[in-house]
Amino acid sequence: MTETPPSRLELHDLQLAQANRTVLEHVSGRFRDGAITALVGANGAGKSTLIQGIMGMLRPVAGRVVCTAPKERRAWLPQQLALDLTFPMSVEELVMTGSWPSHGALTGYCARHYRRGREVMARLGISHLAHRPLGELSGGQRQRALIGRTLMQEAELLLLDEPFANVDAETVEVLMTVLRDMAAEGATIIVVLHDMEQLARLAEEVVVLTGGHARWTTAQALLQSQPAHLGSARLALGIPGIDA
Amino acid sequence: MMELLHEWLIAPFDYGFMRRAAVAGLALSLAAPPMGVFLMLRGMSLIGDAMAHAILPGVALGFLLAGFSLPAMSLGGVLSGLLIAVLAGSVSQMTGHREDSAMASFFLISLAAGVMLVSLGGSSVDLTHVLFGSILAVNSTALVLIAAISSVIVITLALIFRALVVECLDPLFLRGQGKQGSLVHGIFLGLVVLNLTAGFQTLGTLMAVGLMMLPATTARFWSKRLEGLIIIAIMLAVFASLGGLLLSYHLSVPSGPAIILLAGVGYVLSALLGRHHSLRAKLRRHAVPLGTPETH
Repeated sequence: MTETPPSRLELHDLQLAQANRTVLEHVSGRFRDGAITALVGANGAGKSTLIQGIMGMLRPVAGRVVCTAPKERRAWLPQQLALDLTFPMSVEELVMTGSWPSHGALTGYCARHYRRGREVMARLGISHLAHRPLGELSGGQRQRALIGRTLMQEAELLLLDEPFANVDAETVEVLMTVLRDMAAEGATIIVVLHDMEQLARLAEEVVVLTGGHARWTTAQALLQSQPAHLGSARLALGIPGIDA
Repeated sequence: MMELLHEWLIAPFDYGFMRRAAVAGLALSLAAPPMGVFLMLRGMSLIGDAMAHAILPGVALGFLLAGFSLPAMSLGGVLSGLLIAVLAGSVSQMTGHREDSAMASFFLISLAAGVMLVSLGGSSVDLTHVLFGSILAVNSTALVLIAAISSVIVITLALIFRALVVECLDPLFLRGQGKQGSLVHGIFLGLVVLNLTAGFQTLGTLMAVGLMMLPATTARFWSKRLEGLIIIAIMLAVFASLGGLLLSYHLSVPSGPAIILLAGVGYVLSALLGRHHSLRAKLRRHAVPLGTPETH
Protein backbone atom coordinates (compact mmCIF):
# COMPACT_ATOMS: atom_id res chain seq x y z
CA MET A 1 0.00 0.00 0.00
CA THR A 2 1.51 3.34 -1.08
CA GLU A 3 1.52 6.25 1.30
CA THR A 4 -0.45 9.32 0.19
CA PRO A 5 1.97 12.23 -0.36
CA PRO A 6 1.32 15.27 1.85
CA SER A 7 -0.93 17.97 0.42
CA ARG A 8 -1.86 21.33 1.85
CA LEU A 9 -4.42 21.95 -0.92
CA GLU A 10 -7.33 19.63 -1.73
CA LEU A 11 -10.46 20.17 -3.83
CA HIS A 12 -13.60 18.25 -2.98
CA ASP A 13 -16.33 17.96 -5.65
CA LEU A 14 -15.90 21.65 -6.42
CA GLN A 15 -18.37 23.56 -8.57
CA LEU A 16 -17.47 27.11 -9.60
CA ALA A 17 -19.55 29.61 -11.56
CA GLN A 18 -19.10 33.05 -13.08
CA ALA A 19 -22.21 35.23 -13.49
CA ASN A 20 -24.50 32.30 -12.61
CA ARG A 21 -22.98 30.13 -15.35
CA THR A 22 -21.16 26.98 -14.22
CA VAL A 23 -17.56 27.02 -15.41
CA LEU A 24 -16.23 23.94 -13.58
CA GLU A 25 -17.97 21.09 -11.79
CA HIS A 26 -17.12 17.91 -9.92
CA VAL A 27 -13.51 18.98 -9.54
CA SER A 28 -11.79 16.77 -7.00
CA GLY A 29 -8.11 16.26 -6.43
CA ARG A 30 -5.05 17.16 -4.40
CA PHE A 31 -1.95 19.20 -5.18
CA ARG A 32 1.22 17.59 -3.90
CA ASP A 33 3.42 19.60 -1.55
CA GLY A 34 6.83 20.37 -2.98
CA ALA A 35 5.65 19.83 -6.56
CA ILE A 36 4.99 22.18 -9.45
CA THR A 37 1.61 21.50 -11.04
CA ALA A 38 0.77 22.96 -14.45
CA LEU A 39 -2.79 24.06 -15.10
CA VAL A 40 -3.63 23.77 -18.78
CA GLY A 41 -6.70 24.29 -20.89
CA ALA A 42 -8.07 26.40 -23.72
CA ASN A 43 -9.10 30.00 -23.24
CA GLY A 44 -12.32 30.02 -21.20
CA ALA A 45 -11.72 26.51 -19.85
CA GLY A 46 -11.77 27.85 -16.29
CA LYS A 47 -8.10 28.20 -15.31
CA SER A 48 -8.45 31.67 -13.83
CA THR A 49 -11.80 30.68 -12.28
CA LEU A 50 -10.16 27.72 -10.53
CA ILE A 51 -7.35 29.94 -9.22
CA GLN A 52 -9.89 32.45 -7.89
CA GLY A 53 -11.75 29.60 -6.21
CA ILE A 54 -8.54 28.30 -4.60
CA MET A 55 -7.60 31.80 -3.37
CA GLY A 56 -11.06 32.18 -1.80
CA MET A 57 -12.02 35.08 -4.04
CA LEU A 58 -14.82 33.14 -5.70
CA ARG A 59 -17.29 31.35 -3.49
CA PRO A 60 -17.96 27.76 -4.68
CA VAL A 61 -21.52 26.92 -5.74
CA ALA A 62 -20.93 23.47 -4.29
CA GLY A 63 -18.07 21.46 -2.82
CA ARG A 64 -15.11 22.93 -0.97
CA VAL A 65 -11.48 23.93 -1.08
CA VAL A 66 -9.41 22.66 1.83
CA CYS A 67 -6.18 24.61 2.22
CA THR A 68 -4.02 24.25 5.31
CA ALA A 69 -1.50 26.94 4.27
CA PRO A 70 -1.97 30.08 6.40
CA LYS A 71 -3.45 33.00 4.48
CA GLU A 72 -0.32 35.11 4.86
CA ARG A 73 1.65 32.33 3.16
CA ARG A 74 -0.60 32.16 0.08
CA ALA A 75 0.56 34.14 -2.93
CA TRP A 76 -1.12 34.79 -6.25
CA LEU A 77 0.37 36.37 -9.33
CA PRO A 78 -2.53 37.07 -11.68
CA GLN A 79 -2.18 37.46 -15.43
CA GLN A 80 -3.99 40.78 -15.47
CA LEU A 81 -2.11 42.74 -12.86
CA ALA A 82 -4.00 45.15 -10.70
CA LEU A 83 -0.66 46.76 -9.89
CA ASP A 84 -0.73 50.56 -10.14
CA LEU A 85 2.52 51.31 -11.96
CA THR A 86 2.22 55.05 -11.30
CA PHE A 87 2.38 54.45 -7.54
CA PRO A 88 5.59 55.98 -6.15
CA MET A 89 7.28 52.81 -4.99
CA SER A 90 10.70 51.33 -5.67
CA VAL A 91 11.54 47.70 -6.44
CA GLU A 92 12.99 47.22 -2.95
CA GLU A 93 9.84 48.62 -1.34
CA LEU A 94 7.64 46.31 -3.46
CA VAL A 95 9.72 43.28 -2.47
CA MET A 96 9.52 44.33 1.19
CA THR A 97 5.70 44.44 1.09
CA GLY A 98 5.87 40.63 0.85
CA SER A 99 6.83 40.49 4.52
CA TRP A 100 3.96 42.76 5.49
CA PRO A 101 1.17 40.11 5.87
CA SER A 102 3.10 38.23 8.55
CA HIS A 103 4.92 41.26 9.92
CA GLY A 104 1.93 43.26 11.06
CA ALA A 105 0.72 46.78 10.48
CA LEU A 106 2.81 48.73 12.93
CA THR A 107 6.18 47.08 13.48
CA GLY A 108 8.99 48.67 11.53
CA TYR A 109 11.38 46.66 9.37
CA CYS A 110 14.67 45.80 11.05
CA ALA A 111 18.09 45.13 9.53
CA ARG A 112 17.26 41.41 9.23
CA HIS A 113 14.27 42.17 6.95
CA TYR A 114 16.29 44.50 4.74
CA ARG A 115 19.08 41.92 4.55
CA ARG A 116 16.59 39.28 3.46
CA GLY A 117 15.12 41.71 0.91
CA ARG A 118 18.60 42.26 -0.56
CA GLU A 119 19.20 38.48 -0.69
CA VAL A 120 15.92 37.98 -2.54
CA MET A 121 16.75 40.72 -5.06
CA ALA A 122 20.24 39.25 -5.60
CA ARG A 123 18.71 35.81 -6.21
CA LEU A 124 16.50 37.30 -8.90
CA GLY A 125 19.26 39.46 -10.41
CA ILE A 126 17.52 42.75 -9.68
CA SER A 127 19.82 44.20 -7.00
CA HIS A 128 20.86 47.00 -9.35
CA LEU A 129 17.19 48.00 -9.74
CA ALA A 130 16.50 48.24 -5.99
CA HIS A 131 15.78 51.97 -6.01
CA ARG A 132 14.14 52.19 -9.43
CA PRO A 133 10.44 53.17 -9.50
CA LEU A 134 8.04 50.41 -10.60
CA GLY A 135 6.80 52.48 -13.54
CA GLU A 136 10.29 52.44 -15.08
CA LEU A 137 10.65 48.64 -15.19
CA SER A 138 10.36 46.37 -18.22
CA GLY A 139 7.82 43.52 -18.17
CA GLY A 140 10.51 40.97 -17.26
CA GLN A 141 12.01 43.14 -14.50
CA ARG A 142 8.55 43.71 -13.04
CA GLN A 143 7.84 39.97 -13.05
CA ARG A 144 11.10 39.32 -11.20
CA ALA A 145 10.21 41.96 -8.60
CA LEU A 146 6.76 40.40 -8.10
CA ILE A 147 8.27 36.93 -7.66
CA GLY A 148 10.62 38.61 -5.17
CA ARG A 149 7.59 39.69 -3.18
CA THR A 150 6.35 36.09 -2.98
CA LEU A 151 9.84 34.93 -1.90
CA MET A 152 9.78 37.59 0.81
CA GLN A 153 6.35 36.30 1.78
CA GLU A 154 7.87 32.80 2.18
CA ALA A 155 4.83 31.52 0.31
CA GLU A 156 3.77 27.94 0.99
CA LEU A 157 1.15 28.05 -1.76
CA LEU A 158 1.98 29.95 -4.93
CA LEU A 159 -0.40 30.37 -7.87
CA LEU A 160 0.89 31.93 -11.07
CA ASP A 161 -1.20 32.78 -14.12
CA GLU A 162 1.00 32.66 -17.22
CA PRO A 163 4.10 34.01 -15.46
CA PHE A 164 6.30 33.78 -18.58
CA ALA A 165 4.03 35.71 -20.95
CA ASN A 166 5.78 38.73 -22.50
CA VAL A 167 8.94 38.01 -20.55
CA ASP A 168 12.48 37.77 -22.00
CA ALA A 169 14.29 34.41 -22.23
CA GLU A 170 16.82 35.25 -19.49
CA THR A 171 14.03 36.14 -17.06
CA VAL A 172 12.23 32.86 -17.89
CA GLU A 173 15.40 30.96 -16.92
CA VAL A 174 15.82 32.90 -13.66
CA LEU A 175 12.16 32.48 -12.70
CA MET A 176 12.15 28.75 -13.52
CA THR A 177 15.20 28.23 -11.28
CA VAL A 178 13.60 30.17 -8.43
CA LEU A 179 10.29 28.28 -8.76
CA ARG A 180 12.11 24.91 -8.77
CA ASP A 181 14.03 25.97 -5.65
CA MET A 182 10.81 27.04 -3.92
CA ALA A 183 9.22 23.68 -4.73
CA ALA A 184 12.32 21.86 -3.47
CA GLU A 185 11.92 23.76 -0.21
CA GLY A 186 8.39 22.35 0.08
CA ALA A 187 6.12 24.99 -1.49
CA THR A 188 3.04 23.94 -3.45
CA ILE A 189 3.18 25.69 -6.81
CA ILE A 190 0.43 25.85 -9.43
CA VAL A 191 1.27 27.48 -12.75
CA VAL A 192 -1.05 28.25 -15.65
CA LEU A 193 0.95 27.40 -18.77
CA HIS A 194 0.30 27.32 -22.50
CA ASP A 195 3.76 26.43 -23.68
CA MET A 196 4.62 22.72 -23.97
CA GLU A 197 8.37 23.28 -23.77
CA GLN A 198 8.03 25.31 -20.58
CA LEU A 199 5.64 22.70 -19.18
CA ALA A 200 8.11 19.92 -19.94
CA ARG A 201 10.94 21.76 -18.20
CA LEU A 202 9.02 22.96 -15.15
CA ALA A 203 6.04 20.84 -14.15
CA GLU A 204 5.83 17.38 -12.66
CA GLU A 205 2.06 17.14 -12.49
CA VAL A 206 -0.63 18.55 -14.74
CA VAL A 207 -4.30 19.40 -14.31
CA VAL A 208 -6.08 19.53 -17.64
CA LEU A 209 -9.30 21.55 -17.79
CA THR A 210 -11.74 20.70 -20.57
CA GLY A 211 -15.51 20.71 -20.89
CA GLY A 212 -15.97 22.03 -17.37
CA HIS A 213 -14.05 19.15 -15.79
CA ALA A 214 -10.55 18.64 -14.45
CA ARG A 215 -8.27 15.68 -15.03
CA TRP A 216 -5.09 15.05 -13.04
CA THR A 217 -2.15 13.55 -14.91
CA THR A 218 1.64 13.70 -14.91
CA ALA A 219 3.71 15.93 -17.17
CA GLN A 220 5.40 12.83 -18.55
CA ALA A 221 2.11 11.19 -19.51
CA LEU A 222 0.85 14.38 -21.12
CA LEU A 223 4.05 14.86 -23.11
CA GLN A 224 4.00 11.26 -24.33
CA SER A 225 0.56 11.92 -25.75
CA GLN A 226 1.88 14.99 -27.60
CA PRO A 227 3.83 14.87 -30.87
CA ALA A 228 7.45 15.76 -30.05
CA HIS A 229 7.73 18.22 -32.93
CA LEU A 230 5.20 20.54 -31.27
CA GLY A 231 8.22 21.96 -29.43
CA SER A 232 7.38 25.31 -27.97
CA ALA A 233 4.00 25.49 -29.73
CA ARG A 234 1.14 26.47 -27.54
CA LEU A 235 -0.98 23.65 -26.19
CA ALA A 236 -3.82 23.08 -28.59
CA LEU A 237 -6.81 21.72 -26.75
CA GLY A 238 -8.64 19.07 -28.64
CA ILE A 239 -5.42 17.20 -29.44
CA PRO A 240 -6.07 13.51 -28.66
CA GLY A 241 -4.69 12.65 -25.26
CA ILE A 242 -5.48 15.98 -23.66
CA ASP A 243 -9.23 15.73 -23.72
CA ALA A 244 -10.67 14.19 -20.59
CA MET B 1 15.45 95.18 8.10
CA MET B 2 14.92 93.00 11.17
CA GLU B 3 12.22 95.36 12.33
CA LEU B 4 10.45 95.09 9.00
CA LEU B 5 10.63 91.30 9.11
CA HIS B 6 9.32 91.33 12.68
CA GLU B 7 6.49 93.64 11.71
CA TRP B 8 5.50 91.43 8.75
CA LEU B 9 6.07 87.94 10.09
CA ILE B 10 5.90 88.01 13.91
CA ALA B 11 3.91 91.02 15.10
CA PRO B 12 0.54 89.87 13.61
CA PHE B 13 0.67 86.87 15.94
CA ASP B 14 0.55 89.15 18.99
CA TYR B 15 -3.19 89.02 18.46
CA GLY B 16 -5.03 86.04 19.97
CA PHE B 17 -7.24 85.49 16.91
CA MET B 18 -4.15 85.24 14.69
CA ARG B 19 -2.48 82.75 17.06
CA ARG B 20 -5.60 80.58 17.14
CA ALA B 21 -5.89 80.80 13.36
CA ALA B 22 -2.22 79.79 12.99
CA VAL B 23 -2.63 76.76 15.29
CA ALA B 24 -5.80 75.70 13.44
CA GLY B 25 -3.98 76.07 10.13
CA LEU B 26 -1.01 74.02 11.38
CA ALA B 27 -3.27 71.25 12.71
CA LEU B 28 -5.08 71.03 9.37
CA SER B 29 -1.78 71.19 7.50
CA LEU B 30 -0.55 68.07 9.30
CA ALA B 31 -3.70 66.01 8.71
CA ALA B 32 -5.04 67.10 5.32
CA PRO B 33 -2.06 66.74 2.91
CA PRO B 34 -1.39 63.00 3.58
CA MET B 35 -5.07 62.34 2.82
CA GLY B 36 -4.70 64.37 -0.36
CA VAL B 37 -1.62 62.37 -1.40
CA PHE B 38 -3.52 59.08 -1.08
CA LEU B 39 -6.59 60.51 -2.87
CA MET B 40 -4.33 61.64 -5.72
CA LEU B 41 -2.51 58.30 -5.91
CA ARG B 42 -5.83 56.44 -6.01
CA GLY B 43 -7.01 58.62 -8.91
CA MET B 44 -9.67 60.11 -6.64
CA SER B 45 -8.55 63.75 -6.62
CA LEU B 46 -12.06 65.01 -7.37
CA ILE B 47 -13.70 62.73 -4.79
CA GLY B 48 -12.45 65.12 -2.09
CA ASP B 49 -14.38 67.91 -3.79
CA ALA B 50 -17.49 65.74 -3.98
CA MET B 51 -17.19 64.83 -0.30
CA ALA B 52 -16.81 68.51 0.61
CA HIS B 53 -20.25 69.11 -0.88
CA ALA B 54 -21.62 66.00 0.81
CA ILE B 55 -21.02 67.40 4.31
CA LEU B 56 -22.95 70.59 3.55
CA PRO B 57 -26.55 69.36 4.24
CA GLY B 58 -25.46 68.00 7.65
CA VAL B 59 -23.68 71.23 8.55
CA ALA B 60 -26.77 73.19 7.48
CA LEU B 61 -29.08 70.92 9.48
CA GLY B 62 -26.87 71.32 12.56
CA PHE B 63 -27.02 75.08 12.02
CA LEU B 64 -30.83 75.03 11.72
CA LEU B 65 -31.32 72.92 14.85
CA ALA B 66 -28.66 74.37 17.18
CA GLY B 67 -27.73 77.74 15.68
CA PHE B 68 -24.05 78.55 15.16
CA SER B 69 -22.83 75.62 17.28
CA LEU B 70 -19.62 74.14 15.91
CA PRO B 71 -20.02 70.69 17.58
CA ALA B 72 -23.60 70.35 16.24
CA MET B 73 -22.60 71.48 12.76
CA SER B 74 -19.52 69.22 12.76
CA LEU B 75 -21.52 66.19 13.88
CA GLY B 76 -24.10 66.91 11.19
CA GLY B 77 -21.33 67.25 8.62
CA VAL B 78 -19.68 63.93 9.55
CA LEU B 79 -23.02 62.05 9.51
CA SER B 80 -24.10 63.59 6.22
CA GLY B 81 -20.70 62.95 4.58
CA LEU B 82 -20.61 59.32 5.69
CA LEU B 83 -24.24 58.81 4.59
CA ILE B 84 -23.55 60.18 1.12
CA ALA B 85 -20.36 58.05 0.81
CA VAL B 86 -22.30 54.89 1.78
CA LEU B 87 -25.22 55.80 -0.52
CA ALA B 88 -22.91 56.47 -3.47
CA GLY B 89 -21.09 53.18 -2.83
CA SER B 90 -24.38 51.25 -2.55
CA VAL B 91 -25.88 52.78 -5.72
CA SER B 92 -22.64 52.02 -7.55
CA GLN B 93 -22.67 48.37 -6.40
CA MET B 94 -26.40 47.95 -7.09
CA THR B 95 -26.39 49.45 -10.57
CA GLY B 96 -22.88 48.55 -11.66
CA HIS B 97 -22.21 52.21 -12.46
CA ARG B 98 -18.83 53.65 -11.55
CA GLU B 99 -18.58 55.08 -8.03
CA ASP B 100 -17.57 58.54 -9.32
CA SER B 101 -20.79 58.96 -11.33
CA ALA B 102 -22.91 58.05 -8.29
CA MET B 103 -20.79 60.38 -6.17
CA ALA B 104 -21.19 63.23 -8.70
CA SER B 105 -24.98 62.83 -8.62
CA PHE B 106 -25.13 62.80 -4.84
CA PHE B 107 -22.82 65.75 -4.31
CA LEU B 108 -24.93 67.95 -6.59
CA ILE B 109 -28.05 66.93 -4.65
CA SER B 110 -26.15 67.60 -1.39
CA LEU B 111 -25.00 71.04 -2.47
CA ALA B 112 -28.53 72.09 -3.47
CA ALA B 113 -30.02 70.63 -0.26
CA GLY B 114 -27.40 72.32 1.91
CA VAL B 115 -27.79 75.76 0.34
CA MET B 116 -31.60 75.41 0.55
CA LEU B 117 -31.43 74.47 4.26
CA VAL B 118 -29.10 77.35 5.19
CA SER B 119 -31.24 79.83 3.22
CA LEU B 120 -34.39 78.65 4.99
CA GLY B 121 -32.98 79.30 8.45
CA GLY B 122 -30.36 82.00 8.12
CA SER B 123 -29.07 84.98 6.23
CA SER B 124 -26.68 85.19 3.32
CA VAL B 125 -23.92 86.03 5.84
CA ASP B 126 -24.44 82.61 7.50
CA LEU B 127 -24.38 80.94 4.11
CA THR B 128 -21.12 82.68 3.23
CA HIS B 129 -19.61 81.56 6.54
CA VAL B 130 -20.56 77.91 5.98
CA LEU B 131 -19.43 77.91 2.36
CA PHE B 132 -16.19 79.85 2.77
CA GLY B 133 -15.37 79.66 6.51
CA SER B 134 -13.60 82.18 8.64
CA ILE B 135 -10.28 81.12 10.05
CA LEU B 136 -9.84 84.43 11.86
CA ALA B 137 -13.02 83.75 13.85
CA VAL B 138 -11.84 80.38 15.27
CA ASN B 139 -12.52 80.31 19.02
CA SER B 140 -11.01 78.00 21.65
CA THR B 141 -13.80 75.39 21.33
CA ALA B 142 -13.34 75.24 17.58
CA LEU B 143 -9.57 75.02 18.02
CA VAL B 144 -9.83 72.05 20.38
CA LEU B 145 -12.23 70.32 17.97
CA ILE B 146 -9.96 70.93 14.97
CA ALA B 147 -6.87 69.73 16.88
CA ALA B 148 -8.71 66.63 18.18
CA ILE B 149 -10.02 65.66 14.73
CA SER B 150 -6.60 66.23 13.16
CA SER B 151 -4.97 64.02 15.83
CA VAL B 152 -7.51 61.24 15.24
CA ILE B 153 -6.82 61.42 11.51
CA VAL B 154 -3.02 61.27 11.87
CA ILE B 155 -3.15 58.36 14.34
CA THR B 156 -5.69 56.35 12.30
CA LEU B 157 -3.74 56.98 9.13
CA ALA B 158 -0.60 55.65 10.84
CA LEU B 159 -2.52 52.51 11.89
CA ILE B 160 -3.85 51.74 8.41
CA PHE B 161 -0.84 53.11 6.51
CA ARG B 162 0.61 49.80 5.26
CA ALA B 163 -2.79 48.36 4.36
CA LEU B 164 -3.62 51.58 2.53
CA VAL B 165 -0.35 51.51 0.59
CA VAL B 166 -0.87 47.88 -0.44
CA GLU B 167 -4.54 48.55 -1.28
CA CYS B 168 -3.54 51.47 -3.51
CA LEU B 169 -0.67 49.58 -5.14
CA ASP B 170 -2.17 46.13 -5.62
CA PRO B 171 -5.70 45.49 -4.30
CA LEU B 172 -5.57 41.84 -5.39
CA PHE B 173 -2.55 41.20 -3.15
CA LEU B 174 -4.53 42.48 -0.17
CA ARG B 175 -7.57 40.36 -1.10
CA GLY B 176 -5.34 37.33 -1.51
CA GLN B 177 -4.35 37.71 2.14
CA GLY B 178 -8.01 37.58 3.12
CA LYS B 179 -7.78 41.23 4.20
CA GLN B 180 -10.79 43.45 3.68
CA GLY B 181 -9.73 46.00 1.08
CA SER B 182 -13.20 47.54 1.20
CA LEU B 183 -12.83 48.07 4.97
CA VAL B 184 -9.57 49.98 4.45
CA HIS B 185 -11.24 51.98 1.67
CA GLY B 186 -14.22 52.74 3.94
CA ILE B 187 -12.02 53.89 6.85
CA PHE B 188 -10.05 56.08 4.46
CA LEU B 189 -13.21 57.76 3.09
CA GLY B 190 -14.38 58.25 6.69
CA LEU B 191 -11.11 60.06 7.43
CA VAL B 192 -11.61 62.27 4.36
CA VAL B 193 -15.05 63.26 5.68
CA LEU B 194 -13.62 63.93 9.17
CA ASN B 195 -10.87 66.05 7.71
CA LEU B 196 -13.27 68.15 5.66
CA THR B 197 -15.45 68.61 8.72
CA ALA B 198 -12.43 69.93 10.64
CA GLY B 199 -11.64 72.23 7.76
CA PHE B 200 -15.04 73.75 7.11
CA GLN B 201 -14.92 76.06 10.14
CA THR B 202 -11.69 77.62 8.97
CA LEU B 203 -11.85 77.42 5.20
CA GLY B 204 -15.49 76.61 4.55
CA THR B 205 -16.95 73.48 3.02
CA LEU B 206 -15.95 74.52 -0.49
CA MET B 207 -12.33 75.42 0.20
CA ALA B 208 -11.43 72.84 2.88
CA VAL B 209 -10.57 70.44 0.09
CA GLY B 210 -8.00 72.94 -1.24
CA LEU B 211 -5.60 72.40 1.65
CA MET B 212 -5.97 68.66 1.08
CA MET B 213 -5.43 68.47 -2.67
CA LEU B 214 -3.27 71.42 -3.78
CA PRO B 215 -0.21 70.58 -1.63
CA ALA B 216 -0.53 66.92 -2.69
CA THR B 217 -0.73 67.64 -6.42
CA THR B 218 2.12 70.17 -6.07
CA ALA B 219 4.35 67.65 -4.26
CA ARG B 220 4.08 65.32 -7.28
CA PHE B 221 6.33 67.77 -9.16
CA TRP B 222 9.09 67.43 -6.55
CA SER B 223 9.22 63.81 -5.40
CA LYS B 224 8.76 60.30 -6.75
CA ARG B 225 8.65 58.69 -3.33
CA LEU B 226 5.62 58.29 -1.10
CA GLU B 227 7.35 59.60 2.03
CA GLY B 228 8.74 62.50 0.01
CA LEU B 229 5.28 63.35 -1.35
CA ILE B 230 3.76 63.39 2.13
CA ILE B 231 6.53 65.46 3.74
CA ILE B 232 6.64 68.00 0.89
CA ALA B 233 2.83 68.28 0.86
CA ILE B 234 2.77 68.97 4.61
CA MET B 235 5.52 71.61 4.28
CA LEU B 236 3.63 73.30 1.44
CA ALA B 237 0.39 73.27 3.44
CA VAL B 238 2.13 74.81 6.47
CA PHE B 239 3.67 77.48 4.26
CA ALA B 240 0.34 78.23 2.54
CA SER B 241 -1.55 78.37 5.85
CA LEU B 242 0.83 80.74 7.63
CA GLY B 243 1.62 82.75 4.49
CA GLY B 244 -2.06 83.07 3.60
CA LEU B 245 -2.88 84.26 7.11
CA LEU B 246 -0.18 86.94 6.98
CA LEU B 247 -1.29 88.09 3.53
CA SER B 248 -4.86 88.23 4.78
CA TYR B 249 -3.76 90.33 7.78
CA HIS B 250 -1.55 92.77 5.89
CA LEU B 251 -3.60 93.16 2.71
CA SER B 252 -7.04 92.98 4.35
CA VAL B 253 -8.21 90.15 2.10
CA PRO B 254 -10.32 87.11 3.13
CA SER B 255 -8.10 84.52 4.86
CA GLY B 256 -9.52 81.29 3.33
CA PRO B 257 -9.07 82.30 -0.31
CA ALA B 258 -5.64 83.81 0.53
CA ILE B 259 -4.45 80.44 1.91
CA ILE B 260 -5.78 78.42 -1.01
CA LEU B 261 -4.56 80.93 -3.62
CA LEU B 262 -1.07 80.83 -2.10
CA ALA B 263 -1.14 77.03 -2.36
CA GLY B 264 -2.36 77.54 -5.95
CA VAL B 265 0.63 79.78 -6.74
CA GLY B 266 2.86 76.99 -5.41
CA TYR B 267 1.14 74.53 -7.77
CA VAL B 268 1.55 76.72 -10.86
CA LEU B 269 5.22 77.47 -10.10
CA SER B 270 5.89 73.78 -9.50
CA ALA B 271 4.17 72.80 -12.75
CA LEU B 272 6.56 75.16 -14.52
CA LEU B 273 9.78 74.60 -12.56
CA GLY B 274 9.38 71.35 -10.58
CA ARG B 275 11.90 68.51 -10.59
CA HIS B 276 9.64 65.88 -12.15
CA HIS B 277 6.99 66.07 -14.90
CA SER B 278 7.16 69.90 -15.01
CA LEU B 279 7.63 72.04 -18.10
CA ARG B 280 11.29 72.53 -17.15
CA ALA B 281 11.77 68.76 -16.73
CA LYS B 282 10.17 68.14 -20.13
CA LEU B 283 12.48 70.65 -21.85
CA ARG B 284 15.61 69.39 -20.13
CA ARG B 285 17.70 67.11 -22.37
CA HIS B 286 19.69 65.15 -19.85
CA ALA B 287 20.18 61.48 -19.08
CA VAL B 288 22.29 59.63 -16.55
CA PRO B 289 25.12 57.76 -18.36
CA LEU B 290 25.02 53.97 -18.48
CA GLY B 291 26.69 52.28 -15.53
CA THR B 292 25.96 55.10 -13.08
CA PRO B 293 24.87 53.63 -9.73
CA GLU B 294 21.22 54.37 -8.97
CA THR B 295 20.38 56.39 -5.90
CA HIS B 296 17.17 57.05 -3.98
